[in-house]
Amino acid sequence: MTKLRISNGMFISMIVNMIFVKSIGVTQGTLARIAGQDMWLATLLGTLQGMLFMYVAYLVMKRAPGMNFLAIGEALLGNWLGKIVALVVLTFFIASSGPIMITFVYHLQDYFLPEAPLSLFLVSSLLVGALGCFYGLEVVARLALLGMLFIFLLNVLIIIGSTQEFDIRNLLPVLEQGFPSAAEASLHYDADCAMAIMMAAIVMPFVNNADKHGGKVGMTGLAATGMVTLIWALLEGAVLSAEVTSRYTVSCMKLARNAHIGDFMQRYEMIMIALYSIPVLFEIMICIYGTSVSMSKLFGMRSNRWMIVPACLLIGGFSYRIVGDHFRAMQYLEKVWPYIAVPIAFGLPVVMLGLAVILRGRLRQAG
Amino acid sequence: MQVDQGNRQLTFEARLSRNSETIDSVLGSSVDVQKREFMLCGKPDHKGICYFLDGMVDSQAIDGILRALVVLGNELNLDPASLRSADAIRTRLMYSASAKLCGDASDGVQGIVSGDTLVLVDGLEEGILVSTRGWKDRGIEEPSSENNVRGPRDGFTESIRSNTAHIRRRIKDPKLRFDSMIVGTRTKTDINIAYIEDLVKEGLVDEVTRRLGDIKIDAILESGYIEELIEDAPLSPFNTVQSTERPDKVAAALLEGRVAIFVDNTPVVLIVPTYFWQFIQAPDDYYDRYWVGSFFRIIRYVAFFISLLLPSVYVMLVSFHHEMIPTSLALTIASGREVVPFPVLLEALLMELAFELMREAGLRMPKPIGQAVSIVGSLIIGQAAVQAGLVSPFMVIVVAITGISSFAIPSYTSSLAIRLFRFPILIASGLFGLLGFATMFFALLLHALSIRSFGEPYLAPASPYRHSEQRDMVFRLPIWMMDKRPQFAQDTQREGDRQMPRPGKGKS
Amino acid sequence: MTRKILILFSSLAALMTCVSCVGQRQINELAIVTAVGIENGQKPGTIRLSAQIIRPSDARGQTGAPSGGTGQPIYSALAEGQTIFDAIRNLGRFVSRRVYWAHNFLIVMQEDYARNGIEDMVDFFTRNHELRMNTRVAVTSDSPAEVISTITGLEVVPGQAVDNLFQDNEIVGQAPSSDMMNLEEAYLSRSSEPILARLTLVSRGISNKKPQEHGSLKQVELAGAAVFKEGRMVGWLSPEETRGLLFFTERLESGIEVVGCPNSGNKLSLEFRDARLKVKPSYRNERPEFRIELRAKADVVESGCGTNIAKIRPDIERALEERLKGEIEALLRKAQREYHSDVLKLADVFRNKFPAEWRKIGDRWSSAFSEARVDVAVKANVKSVVLKSEESSQ
Repeated sequence: MTKLRISNGMFISMIVNMIFVKSIGVTQGTLARIAGQDMWLATLLGTLQGMLFMYVAYLVMKRAPGMNFLAIGEALLGNWLGKIVALVVLTFFIASSGPIMITFVYHLQDYFLPEAPLSLFLVSSLLVGALGCFYGLEVVARLALLGMLFIFLLNVLIIIGSTQEFDIRNLLPVLEQGFPSAAEASLHYDADCAMAIMMAAIVMPFVNNADKHGGKVGMTGLAATGMVTLIWALLEGAVLSAEVTSRYTVSCMKLARNAHIGDFMQRYEMIMIALYSIPVLFEIMICIYGTSVSMSKLFGMRSNRWMIVPACLLIGGFSYRIVGDHFRAMQYLEKVWPYIAVPIAFGLPVVMLGLAVILRGRLRQAG
Repeated sequence: MQVDQGNRQLTFEARLSRNSETIDSVLGSSVDVQKREFMLCGKPDHKGICYFLDGMVDSQAIDGILRALVVLGNELNLDPASLRSADAIRTRLMYSASAKLCGDASDGVQGIVSGDTLVLVDGLEEGILVSTRGWKDRGIEEPSSENNVRGPRDGFTESIRSNTAHIRRRIKDPKLRFDSMIVGTRTKTDINIAYIEDLVKEGLVDEVTRRLGDIKIDAILESGYIEELIEDAPLSPFNTVQSTERPDKVAAALLEGRVAIFVDNTPVVLIVPTYFWQFIQAPDDYYDRYWVGSFFRIIRYVAFFISLLLPSVYVMLVSFHHEMIPTSLALTIASGREVVPFPVLLEALLMELAFELMREAGLRMPKPIGQAVSIVGSLIIGQAAVQAGLVSPFMVIVVAITGISSFAIPSYTSSLAIRLFRFPILIASGLFGLLGFATMFFALLLHALSIRSFGEPYLAPASPYRHSEQRDMVFRLPIWMMDKRPQFAQDTQREGDRQMPRPGKGKS
Repeated sequence: MTRKILILFSSLAALMTCVSCVGQRQINELAIVTAVGIENGQKPGTIRLSAQIIRPSDARGQTGAPSGGTGQPIYSALAEGQTIFDAIRNLGRFVSRRVYWAHNFLIVMQEDYARNGIEDMVDFFTRNHELRMNTRVAVTSDSPAEVISTITGLEVVPGQAVDNLFQDNEIVGQAPSSDMMNLEEAYLSRSSEPILARLTLVSRGISNKKPQEHGSLKQVELAGAAVFKEGRMVGWLSPEETRGLLFFTERLESGIEVVGCPNSGNKLSLEFRDARLKVKPSYRNERPEFRIELRAKADVVESGCGTNIAKIRPDIERALEERLKGEIEALLRKAQREYHSDVLKLADVFRNKFPAEWRKIGDRWSSAFSEARVDVAVKANVKSVVLKSEESSQ
């Protein structure tokens, strides 16, 4: 196989794919519950914070070109202590499978196939995810490129379908609930960004010229995500009003159901969901990929292929437990997941950067 | 050139009788093996034999050889005794354009079965192999499976030499190369690898040669054999090698830095590497003006998606997601389906099957009866089945549109692949609704993304995205804007600057 | 790679055998509901639900093989239950197909039901994924079962007919085009109150067979509105008051008003266009105040005055202003004095302008609204007399 290379454009679209799905689907509802109609502001704040920590992650990578976080951890801390980093990353990815699956299953099951069993959704998505992982990261990255196209189409469709209901009065007044609640809400968007940051921590070494402008590319990716998500945040706020948005688990579907073109196309949310499913499956693939890579590191294997199936089983089991019960799912989504995601994704790069500065010699040795 | 089927090195000796026995023992008593005895310069003590295969040779060329050997020496007053080497005969007597010495009997036999004439003269240890190949060829016709309106009408034939000449006539570039290979232990099929030396993707010719050299097979009857033996994704239903009967397509591919593989005895030429999207592009796109070309290319993209997805989407909507159908349409569909006894999935499968059946039957039937099949088929399926309440009128429309769309894809072989892909998506969406549809579609997409064709990603330039190649992707931009070759070519610049015509500039 | 594809396909095949056809229903196995009526059941605390179910083969004529043939495009049925969902399930006792709600055009509530509160109805119809969000919602004082099963002259499906009425509503401009989307938004909103259209059965249709009994056929009329407060219906608005409301909620731009001729007892019709309504909130003495300005242009579309309109132009302008102002003030009176319900969405305007003050009085908005001072100013310009030239006609 030729050497794996991901172009900068692919990396940007990977970041967009990684965040977009959950942030428009599930996060906006949470944001509306906390910040009311300022959810777009919270999105914006979250984007800025995400960009900052993406840059920190890049600073770590810059010190050891060609190594991902797991390899850097091993180089800095030695063989056994380095496994702690792998364990942390593993925890992150398994935990992230919860919100990802919540997004996927609740979109499809609740709105389209309420009679299909939950396991069917998990199994089929994990099968496709595993298939993608077997084909390798490059294929997944190419998929992200197509996903970007689909996201674009999706945004066009929702804009066409919703602008006639657009009511700016629903977005005003700005900061009614005050800045603190907007900042608090941005934490939930941070949790979405966290997935992109951790993905970058794994795949950044494969990106072309990552050591030179990986930070810039990563930040561009987050900014682009912020933009495409902002469209939804504004539309959900203006069309549905914050009160309605906050009532729904999957608020973007609520918006999609409202969208219509003329009187003939009363509903076309299925087209949107079909477009939406590439990014979702991409997220699942990355989740499996991250889990399998960190597991193989944990067990000292060279290739992650043998770990894909165990990773799928782990993710499947975990998410079955989370997704199966709506109350537990929402509890996890709002009370547990951000407090796992944000500390890991924002803390790990900072800690690693600190270690890399202190133990500069070791890193150079390994590099 | 390996001859590993029992006959070891057979050399010619000085005695004609021994030599002729050797040849006879190899060729046996086939009726088409012709032995023509003659006397060199008409002198009885200089006997000779011509070997050739009836039907494989041009008899006028044989006449010419015999005339040279028997009559010409006398006219030139040559003494046959002075012609004591095969080379002397070849250079002094014979006027055939292609004649070469042959010291090895197995080469001689090989020449005979390829349609050459082997001349043996008593007392000489070498034979002369004269090229006399000539058999009835099909005339040059327009390729029946790849029609177009504007553009050249010629198509490849079964003769490899005239096929390569088609290309040579189009590209008078000394850098155009044809490398020869022979594949097939029994058929000894000629294969030519065509490329333009300073354009072709680096290392591609070596790779093609290596893959062809690795083939160990007894027979190559069609380029399809080669295709299956060298492709990158042998298990995939996608074809990663483009095949065409049109010389202009091959010439265009060579000029983009690709490699064409000519196989003798078939008009179908292979082109590598191949992007998936090439199958949707037609030569007309480039010959008609770009507005028209772009429009019809987009139509073909639509046709591609329809033929791949329409039945699945219909089945999915009608059996799972009724809320997505606009109400008035839903009522129409429901009223059409009121008496249909089958579930939609089964109905769709039956109709698709019936359609494929009609297509296949129409293809296999002798031409005069083929018409009857289509009339009966369309009457039965279009009219009677609906009247009998077996299928709904909507399903007939869906299947018909799908069928028509699949014929709009210029490459027949890849439209077959799409036909195949339709079924897994159809079944998955009929069983699991949107979930099955999305999952199966993206599994296929992933698969298509993962395969390569001779080192090039199959879905390029869409993914991985290549900006400069978008000029010839969804839209066919004007010729004066398509100034770049695909990026794998050695020299990617194909036009000068500012080719957009500006009438009146520079002149008064 | 081979093995992986094989694994994928074999596991998919295994899956199919386990759970094949989950939730699969053919479209012709559904009882497609196009209108639903909700009223109180006979027993207290129960709900009676009437559904208008379409019979596709008769609603669409013959497509494909012959089927149907009784000629009735709809089938209407009644069911009772403890809750809406219970009633729907009970519908399944005698409806032979699965009742399917996604193509529902119309929800009609009986007045008594609406006065008891619509929370369960809003919740049910927004919780279910099948239902589309632009279903029309209306209130009637007649029997909803009768309303939904009254066949109109032009459309085959009554539900669709009412939907068409709603679509062309802006021409008449006498009822809000209330749908589920608006209802939910207004219902959940802290600041505004929902308003629903009113459907009435009136004897207006003329039978072709017995034309002498003119106007004996009952038809569904869309005019007027029902006012809600805190999830309960509190009263009706007349068509004229509703016209006033539409300036606020739907930015009504045009409509017909009839004014008396200044010189005689005859009438003159004016079509006003480009109506623009501005609401200017202010806050004084702990109280919100609103100034409402309406500007409109108008055309004379019918005149019985028999005089040059140029001469009476100022008079008819004033008359139009009076009429429009009267409509708005009548509406304000009803909303502020009688119903104490802010159906005009004045709260949104106030909240956007004065977020800090809103925080203080938002919780007691309905009383604040009732006490608010509202000034109405209308400015109308008669610009055109359409085809005729009035200057030279005398």
